[in-house]
Amino acid sequence: MTVYAAPGQYLRVPHTVPTLVYHEMLDRLGNPRPAWKSFVERIPNVTVTDFAHRAQQAEQLLDENGVTFNIFHDGQQSQRPWSLDLFPFIIGANEWDNLAGGLRQRARLLDRVVRDCYGPRELIQNGVLPPEVLFANPGFLRPFVGIHQGPQSITLFATELARGPDGGWRAMADRAEAPAGAAFALENRIAVSRAMPPSLHDPLVRRLAPFFLALQNRLKALGQKLSENPRIVLLSPGAKYPYYFEDVYLARYLGYTLVEGADLAVRDDRVFLKTLAGLVPIDVIISRGVERGIDPLELGGGEPHGIPGLLKVIREGKVAVANVPGCGLIESPIFMAFLPQICQYWLGEDLQLKSIPTWWCGDQGQLKEVMGRFTELVIKPAFQASGGEEVIVSRLDPEGRRELIDQITAHPYKYVAQELIARSAVPVFRNGEVQNGHAAIRTFLTANQDDYDVMPGGLVRVAPTPDPMVLSISAGDSSKDLWVLAESLVKPVSLLGDIDKPVVLRRTSAIFPSRVADDLFWFGQSLDRADFLCRLLRAVIERLTAESASDAPELPWLIRALADQGQVEPGFAIESFLVQLPTLTDELPRMISNVEESRGVAAAISEMDRLASLERLWMSPDTFRKVRETALAFLESPETRWTGLVDVLEAINQLILDLAAVSGLLHDGMVRGPAWRLLDMGRRIERARNTASMLRSVMSVNATFERPVLKSLLEVIDCRMTYRARYFDNLQQNAVLDLCISDETSPRSIVSQLVALSDHVDALPNDGQSVLRNEEKRIVMMAVHAVRMVSPENLEQVPATALQQILLDVEKDMSTLSHVITRKYLLHSGIPRQITSGLELPQ
Amino acid sequence: MKYRIVHKTSYSSADPVSVGHNEAWLTPRCTQSQSVLAHRIDIEPQPSTRVVLNDYFGNTVTQFLFNQGYSKLLISAINEVEIVTPAKWVTSPPWEVVLADVQAHYSHEALQAFEFTFDSPRCRRSTAFADYGASSFHPDRPILEVLADLLERFFVDFKYDSTATTVSTPVEQVFRQRRGVCQDFAHLLISILRSLGFAARYVSGYLRTLPPPGKPRLVGADASHAWLSVYCGPLGWIDIDPTNKQFPTTDHLTIAWGRDYTDVAPVKGVYIGGSSPQLSVSVDVCPINELPAAESLDASAT
Repeated sequence: MTVYAAPGQYLRVPHTVPTLVYHEMLDRLGNPRPAWKSFVERIPNVTVTDFAHRAQQAEQLLDENGVTFNIFHDGQQSQRPWSLDLFPFIIGANEWDNLAGGLRQRARLLDRVVRDCYGPRELIQNGVLPPEVLFANPGFLRPFVGIHQGPQSITLFATELARGPDGGWRAMADRAEAPAGAAFALENRIAVSRAMPPSLHDPLVRRLAPFFLALQNRLKALGQKLSENPRIVLLSPGAKYPYYFEDVYLARYLGYTLVEGADLAVRDDRVFLKTLAGLVPIDVIISRGVERGIDPLELGGGEPHGIPGLLKVIREGKVAVANVPGCGLIESPIFMAFLPQICQYWLGEDLQLKSIPTWWCGDQGQLKEVMGRFTELVIKPAFQASGGEEVIVSRLDPEGRRELIDQITAHPYKYVAQELIARSAVPVFRNGEVQNGHAAIRTFLTANQDDYDVMPGGLVRVAPTPDPMVLSISAGDSSKDLWVLAESLVKPVSLLGDIDKPVVLRRTSAIFPSRVADDLFWFGQSLDRADFLCRLLRAVIERLTAESASDAPELPWLIRALADQGQVEPGFAIESFLVQLPTLTDELPRMISNVEESRGVAAAISEMDRLASLERLWMSPDTFRKVRETALAFLESPETRWTGLVDVLEAINQLILDLAAVSGLLHDGMVRGPAWRLLDMGRRIERARNTASMLRSVMSVNATFERPVLKSLLEVIDCRMTYRARYFDNLQQNAVLDLCISDETSPRSIVSQLVALSDHVDALPNDGQSVLRNEEKRIVMMAVHAVRMVSPENLEQVPATALQQILLDVEKDMSTLSHVITRKYLLHSGIPRQITSGLELPQ
Repeated sequence: MKYRIVHKTSYSSADPVSVGHNEAWLTPRCTQSQSVLAHRIDIEPQPSTRVVLNDYFGNTVTQFLFNQGYSKLLISAINEVEIVTPAKWVTSPPWEVVLADVQAHYSHEALQAFEFTFDSPRCRRSTAFADYGASSFHPDRPILEVLADLLERFFVDFKYDSTATTVSTPVEQVFRQRRGVCQDFAHLLISILRSLGFAARYVSGYLRTLPPPGKPRLVGADASHAWLSVYCGPLGWIDIDPTNKQFPTTDHLTIAWGRDYTDVAPVKGVYIGGSSPQLSVSVDVCPINELPAAESLDASAT
C-alpha cells in the first residue's frame, strides 16, 4: 500500500490512479472529479491526528449503539459486521438522478414481475420468461399464489451496485424479501455527521430522513384500508438473527412495536398482538424474516417469526404485510437474464440500469455463449438469491472445470453465468493514511403512490481488493456513508419531527407484548434468586473460612438451606456434615461458578443477563449495561481466577453490590407501568418463597434457636441493623421471626412481599367480567391473611410447628400464583408445533 | 357406480391444546369420470372459524381454527361420489411424442403438465431411477404400453410391506429395499417417470376393497389410498396404480392431487400447547346400494 500521509501532518489524498479499475474520486489524470472537488479542496485543512481521532469517535458512537443493542453474549458475533470509515463516498446530483431513475424503473418492473408470477403469469404464457423460473424454483412457494392483490407487492426494495472499469453502474443483485441495511445506512449517517470535522461538512448532502418518512407514509397508507390510525408492528425473527440489531434500530426510529412470531396470533379473521391487556388487532406487519417461514400452517416449519394462519388473513385483505410474502422470488439471478426483454415487453423501453451481464444455462443459445467464454465467468445457482454459493471459473483447476461442466450439462436450467466485474476504487482512511479500497453500494427504495422513492444515500461496503465481493451486506471489511449531493441547499427534515406539535398528556405508552411481560417476570425472579443465594453463600463461606468452622452451630442449617435451594447437593446437608466439610470447601467454588447447575447462582445470573438482553428496550440503557457488566464480571472464567474460598467470598461480595446497583437502577429508573409491575412481581414471588423456604430449612435443623443461629438468620435476611436498633443485642426467637415474617415495615419480610403482590395483582388489566375476585387475587389475599394472622404465640412456640405449616402454605401459594399469572397474562403464546399428519399412512 | 365414503380422523391429547389451526384435504374432486353427489365435513368441537378454499392445484381445502383449543378433535368427512368407467384408450401415441410435447410445452395443457416434471419435496429425480425406467421405453412404443410394462415390472420388483417403511422414508431408500406401501410406490414411480422427463403427479384418494368371499364387509376397515397420474399428451392425464398393477376404473375414488403427498396430506395442522397427541383414523368405503336404507343420502351438500 502506498503511504499518502503520515501522522502529525495534514491529511493528503492520493494522486496516483489505479489503471485497471475506475477511481471514484480521481479522473485519469489524477484530478478530483467534480462531485469530489469541494471535499478534496478542504482536506488539506485537516490534520491526520484530528481525522484519526474523529474516525475513532465515529466508531465509538457505533459501539455505544452496539452496547445498547448488541445481544450476542460471546461478543464474537458483532451486531455490525464491519467497521465504519469516516471518509465518505460522494456522488454528484446529475449522476445520482440518472441512477435513481434506473433504480426506480427496476423496482417498478420487478414488483410487476412478482405480481405476475404469483398471479396471471402473463410473462410465462407469452414466452417472455421460461416456466422453469417458477416450476423448477424451490423459492416459488405455491401458497403465495393469490395473495398479491394490491397495486404494489414490494414496499422496501434494495439493489446492490458496482461500478465497472468503464465507469458504468451495474446492478449486481436485487433484494425484495426483507432487504437489510437501510437502518445501517442511517446509523452510519448519524455517526459520520457527528464525527466529521466541521470544515469537511458539506451543506449540499441530501438528507436520509425524507426516505424514512416516505416509508412511514407508505406503511400507514397500507393500513388505512383497515383503520384510520393503523397499528403497525415490525416482525423480527428475534435476537438470534444476525441483523436483529437493525430490526431494533428501525423499530425505534420509525416508532413501531418490535414483535416476534409468538407475540402475534390469528383469531377469527384478524391478526392480533398479545398484550398484557388482551388482544390488540394489527393492521400492518413489516416482515423482516424469511418468507418461507411466515405461516407454519400453510408453509410448514417453525420459524421464530411464523404466525399460523397468517396467509388466510392476508388473502382476505384483513392485514397488510410489507413486503408481501413472495417478493423474495425476484432475488434469484435468473431474472437478471430476462429483465431487458421484460422491460421491452411491458414498457416498450430499454432497461436503464443494466444488470451485470447474466446468461441462463437452461436456454440453448445462452448456454452456448456461456461455454464459449466459460473461463471468464462466474457460475451461480439460478434459483437462489445471489450471494450464496458461486464459482469463479478461472480459479478452478482443469479437473474442477470439467466437473462443473458436467454438473451444468446434467441440469442446465439450474445455473446462471455472470460476468466478473472489477469494482471501482475509492479512498479509505485506514491505519492513519488514505488508501484505496473497492466499493459495493446497496441502494434502497420505498414504494410511494404507484412509483418508488430512492433513498438519497446508501450502504457502502469496502473491501481491500477489487475481487468479487459476496453480495450479502455482511461482506466487506468496512462501510461508509454515501453522500449524494443536491443542486442547491437542502432543507432539514427529521423523523424525530413534529417537534412543534402539541401532545396530549398520557400515563401509558405503546402496546406491551405478553412475551416481554413474560421475560421481565422471569428476569425479576432470577434477580431475586441470585441475590438470595449470594447472601446465603456469603454466610456459609464466611464461616467456612473462619478458624472454628466446625464449632459454628449455625453452619448445619445454612448448608441445609443451600441444599434445599439446590445450590449444593443434598448429600452435604446430612447429619454428619462435619465429615463433609473439607469436600464442601473444595467443591463449593465449582458449584458456585457452574452455569450448568440450573438452580445455582451462576445460572440465575446468566438467565438474568439473557432476559435483559432480549428486553433491553424496556429498561434503561444504564440498567442493561449494569446487568451485562455484572454478568461478565461474575461469569467470566471464575475457575481460573479463584484460587480459594477467599476469592469466592470477594466475588460474592462484589456480586451483592452489583445486584443492589441493578435493583436500584430498576427501582429508580422504571416507570411504574406494566413492565415494572411484572418484573417486581417476579421478584416478590421469589423473595417470599425463598424466605419461607429458608425459615423451614432452619426449623428442620434446629428445634430451638441458639443465638448464633438467630444471628445468621438476621444476616441472610439483611436485617441486623434494624434488629440492633430495636432490641440491642437481646436476640430472641419471636423478634427475629417477626422481622422475617410478619413485620410490615421490614422490606424483606414475607408479609411485605405479599402486600406488594396484592397491589400488583389489583393493578393488572382484568377482563372485568366477574364481580368476584379472580384466582390470583384470592391466592394473594389468602396468603396475606394467613401471615397477618400469625400470633405472638406462633412466633414463640418451640418447636414452631404452626409457623412451619404457614410457611409451607406460603411457598405453595407462591408457586401457584406464578403459574396462574403465567397462564393468564403471559403464555397464551407458546411454540407452534406441526400435527404429524404423517402418522396417517395411506395403504 | 355410487359410493359413500366416511373418513374419520381423531386426535386426542392428555393436556388440552390451547390453540389449533388445521387444514383438511378431505373433499373429493370432480373429474371427467367422477362426480361429487354430496359432501360434508363434521368437526367436533365446533371450530371458531372455518373457511373452504381451493389450493394451488384446484383441490378443495377446508381451513379451521380453534381459538379456545380442545383436548379431543374429531374430523368426519362424509362424501358420496359417482364414478363412471373412464374412457378406454385403445391406441396411444409413442412415448417420444408425449415427451417432446411436455418438454416443449407449447400447448396450455403441456405447460401446466410441465410443472410436474421437476423435483418436489418427496420425489427427487436421479439417474438410478431413470435407468430403472428406461428399459420399458422401447423406440416408438405407445405410451400406454410403456406404462403397462412399467406397472408389470414394478409389481414384480417391489413388494407391498406395511412394516418396511414409515411415512417419512425417503424414496431412494424405498428403491433400495424394494418394499413399501402405496404412498412409497406412488412417490417412487413418480420419481422414475420424472427422471425420464415425463410429468407425473400424486393422487390421494380411496380404494374400494372387497371383503373375502363369504365374509361380511367390515365397516371402517378401509384406508386412504394413493396412486399417480401421468401426462400422456393428447390423452390427457392417465391414472396408474402401482400397488395394484392397475389402470384404475371404478374402484378408485379421487380426493386430491399435487406434486406429492406433502401437497395433499388429508389433515395438516399447527397447534400450541397439548402433549403427545394420539391419532386414529378410520375409513369406510361402501357402495351406496349396499348401505342400509335408512343411512343413504343424509350427507347434504355444504
